[in-house]
Amino acid sequence: MPHDQQTRPYLGYGLGLRPDHYQDIVRDWPAVGWFEVLSENYMVDGGKPLHYLERVRSRYPVVMHGVSLSIGGCDPLDRAYLQRLKSLANRIEPQWISDHLCWTGMAGKNLHDLLPLPYTEEALVHVVERVNQVQDFLGRQILLENVSSYVSYADSALSEWEFLRAVTEQADCLILLDINNVYVSSCNHEFDALTYLAGIPRDRVHQFHLAGHSYQDNLIVDTHDTAVIDPVWWLYADAVRRFGRVSTMIERDSNIPPLSQLLDELELARRIAEPILNERAA
Amino acid sequence: MRLVHLQKQFQCYLLDGKSEIERHVVATDKASAMQRLAIYGNAYRLRLLEVLGEDFPGLKGLLGAESFAVLGCAYIDAHPSAHPSIRWFGRHLSHFLRERTPYNDRPELAEMAAFEWAQGEVVDAADTAVCSAEQLAAVSPARWPDMRVVFQHALRRLELHWNVPVVWRAIDDGTTTPTPEHSTRPLAWLLWRRSLQVHWRSLAEDEHWAIRACLDGRTLGEICQGLSERSAAPDVPLRAASLLKQWLSEDLVANIEFGEVPC
Ligand SMILES: [Fe+2]
Repeated sequence: MPHDQQTRPYLGYGLGLRPDHYQDIVRDWPAVGWFEVLSENYMVDGGKPLHYLERVRSRYPVVMHGVSLSIGGCDPLDRAYLQRLKSLANRIEPQWISDHLCWTGMAGKNLHDLLPLPYTEEALVHVVERVNQVQDFLGRQILLENVSSYVSYADSALSEWEFLRAVTEQADCLILLDINNVYVSSCNHEFDALTYLAGIPRDRVHQFHLAGHSYQDNLIVDTHDTAVIDPVWWLYADAVRRFGRVSTMIERDSNIPPLSQLLDELELARRIAEPILNERAA
Repeated sequence: MRLVHLQKQFQCYLLDGKSEIERHVVATDKASAMQRLAIYGNAYRLRLLEVLGEDFPGLKGLLGAESFAVLGCAYIDAHPSAHPSIRWFGRHLSHFLRERTPYNDRPELAEMAAFEWAQGEVVDAADTAVCSAEQLAAVSPARWPDMRVVFQHALRRLELHWNVPVVWRAIDDGTTTPTPEHSTRPLAWLLWRRSLQVHWRSLAEDEHWAIRACLDGRTLGEICQGLSERSAAPDVPLRAASLLKQWLSEDLVANIEFGEVPC
């Protein structure tokens, strides 16, 4: 596997694996570098989901992306969930495992949303402790993704990027940088997206997400139901300039177009990134 | 505010719509604290409603989109998700419909939900081997009475008073939704998986009994004995053989076993 920096694995340009595309993928085996799969969707006993996952895995590198770790939650870590995550990882041998820097519920409830944390010293200590537990249990580093958010808390003492940086450095974990989420949150909270990128440690970023979003009142909502918009492509170019060769994928979760359309969109990512990377290498 | 209290307030807001959380959220010229929170509040319900709609299209067809949304909201309030995967969110819906007014006045609704939930279970139940006709043919006839039929894990049985599988099919085809029909004696239905697809059909009473007997670990000899008391078929061993042949042809059988039933 080619490496950009000493320790960063690189998979190229990938897509999220979605059931709508199962048939097309195993028929055409499209030229995609890798697939990201939603871990929870494959925590089942058998049948269609695991059938297609294994077939896809037989031809492509796969990374696992979870939504229910609740790394910032206050309930004890869900051991049964972690065990299922580990079993799935043993089965499909993903390149890496990621989840989000957020919380998803408390008192046993799952709200099935990626809820923002207050960026406080208390939350920092709490998250670092839990990342340590998860990494010990899984026996590997995890990637944490920055989420889109619509609220910020009066209690927050740090910026989101300061908090993310501190978590990853103190817990020695990695970053899945969602470029669209940086853009969305920068609009919603009126901060400078480039300042955000500049605050993220270079070597820890092992994956980029790209996605589309929509508008609700004055705010931008991370809906993953449209194509990536131009300002997000521009920010992606800035991110490539800063971070170099980072595995990049496009997330699409609803209003899902034909696979060919996503492949075209992925080609656009390549056409933006490659000249910058070549220039950087020269 | 302590992290745990902030999360408690936020969760209260999402589940009950009111809490102190607003005071801890920063308002800006762009949007007030409540407008910001409302994005989460709306998304919470919409996401769960969407999953219910995907898992229960037949129920949605029977109720219509508007009443289905009303039902969905009541269900969301009664059974907040407690599972890491949203796939399990709808598992209490059939029970909810059976217990709750006004839905318990229309028992076909609970049956439709049970039928659709069973379909979902068939989709991702554990994989099992498929026993072939050749495997059966290799068994000497003398051993048949001691033989036990082991079905695939994805097999599900339902006893329904309403013809919801027929109604479901019409809704799925996009034809006019027929009025559900009631029968005083429940009809047994079998659901199973074949080549990753969900299949179902209704069962005659003797076949239903034979399937339950297999599931209980009875031998073919015991099943023939039982069938002779229940089946209208003139030739009971022939009836048993033809059932077995059909089950094999439908990929229902995972294995054939002999000896003690493992505990
Ligand atoms: Fe993302």
